[in-house]
Amino acid sequence: MCLGIPGKIVETHDHDGLAMGTVDFGGVRREVCLAYVADDVAIGDYAIVHVGFAISKVDEAAARRALQLLEEMSQLDELDWIAEAERNVRGPEQEVG
Amino acid sequence: MKYLSEYHDAAIARRLVDEIASASSRRHVLMEVCGGQTHTIVRQGLDELLRDAVEMIHGPGCPVCVTPLEQMDRALHLAARPDVIFTSFGDMLRVPGSTTDLFGVRARGGEVRVVYSPLDALEIARLHPDREVVFFAVGFETTAPANAMAVLQARARRVPNFSMLVSHVTVPPAMVAILEAPDSRVEGFLAAGHVCTVMGWTEYEPLAARYRVPIVVTGFEPIDILEGVLMAVRQLEQGRHEVENEYVRSVRRDGNRAARAAVARVFTLVDRNWRGIGPIPNSGLALRQEFAAFDAERKFRLSDIRADEPNVCRAGEVLRGQLKPPQCPAFGRECIPEHPLGAPMVSYEGACAAYHNYRRHRAASGRHV
Repeated sequence: MCLGIPGKIVETHDHDGLAMGTVDFGGVRREVCLAYVADDVAIGDYAIVHVGFAISKVDEAAARRALQLLEEMSQLDELDWIAEAERNVRGPEQEVG
Repeated sequence: MKYLSEYHDAAIARRLVDEIASASSRRHVLMEVCGGQTHTIVRQGLDELLRDAVEMIHGPGCPVCVTPLEQMDRALHLAARPDVIFTSFGDMLRVPGSTTDLFGVRARGGEVRVVYSPLDALEIARLHPDREVVFFAVGFETTAPANAMAVLQARARRVPNFSMLVSHVTVPPAMVAILEAPDSRVEGFLAAGHVCTVMGWTEYEPLAARYRVPIVVTGFEPIDILEGVLMAVRQLEQGRHEVENEYVRSVRRDGNRAARAAVARVFTLVDRNWRGIGPIPNSGLALRQEFAAFDAERKFRLSDIRADEPNVCRAGEVLRGQLKPPQCPAFGRECIPEHPLGAPMVSYEGACAAYHNYRRHRAASGRHV
């Protein structure tokens, strides 16, 4: 949970005054809080995201390299949590098995 | 196991290894703080490439690994309550408590849900006003801004059935504890790049000056680590002890000001137990009094739950950098990632898991870097 995952901001919106957006992590998309980088980022930018919160803007080359490295190192557990969390927010009855 | 030669930056890496070797007039002892750095070092065999110039000691920078046993037991107690939906990051579910883990509680009917963001837990609370939803707030400074925002949002959106079991830890006090230990051999640190992305590096400046140790803010990619090592070695050779920043593409001196402000508004410094290390003064974050309504420890009166750590696991020595994981008698035998005795075998950021994943067949296969 300490490394964070780089992703591309593909959409932004406001949720009760909180800056939010959709981030694409190499194909996996997830709603992310942008409150801590709101002044720095725009749609199309890349950011490092820690547990659903963008913390810093990075350039595209650095983001792609870091994502590839995380993939090689099997350190993308958090992407599995995203899928599991999507089921879990609605309820455990949605789980299979 | 993948070796550095397969890595696309292999030529740069080899040049850096040569530079480190020629810059070193003797063997230096450096500690990498971040568990992600440990993972890279062990996986890529960087410690072996640098063996003649630098000894890398693996630090305690794995939040899963240092969560104290009694806090795990409190989590297990809450998760077993029928009125509670217990929510957690995925990597806490296999961390052993005194008697079981969160998977075990779930198997016996406790409702344990993995979330990605603390805002997921808040949403679960909003959807289930008849249940108590507790989020296990663990991590270093990288997750603290997220958890702080969840508390601020719980208050703003009036979600009274949401609370947090907070087990946050901060890096600088742990570095002090390591430097103050009488048997400490650490001459310099690679500080954790993503922690510093949030916090900046001003906190480290008095440490470098007081203990006369170089501290280099370093990323987690192989080239980052080699560059960080080279910068620390040059400081040691030149008799300097400063904070330097290798991870310039992500870290600014003041960090992320908005994130720091949220953390300061919600949390206050407290003494905290580190698993395997013991109590470290002012090394943890707890909710401020004004957010007491969201503090699971107060809400559920958990302070009576105490636990002593078992003796068989030598994680403490690993986390203090005194023991390399394969030197533990339980390593790879009673203690494997599927059945961990201690937390460093659980998380990919843990030193024991890194050695188990990448080095356990070393002796048998005879392969070498």
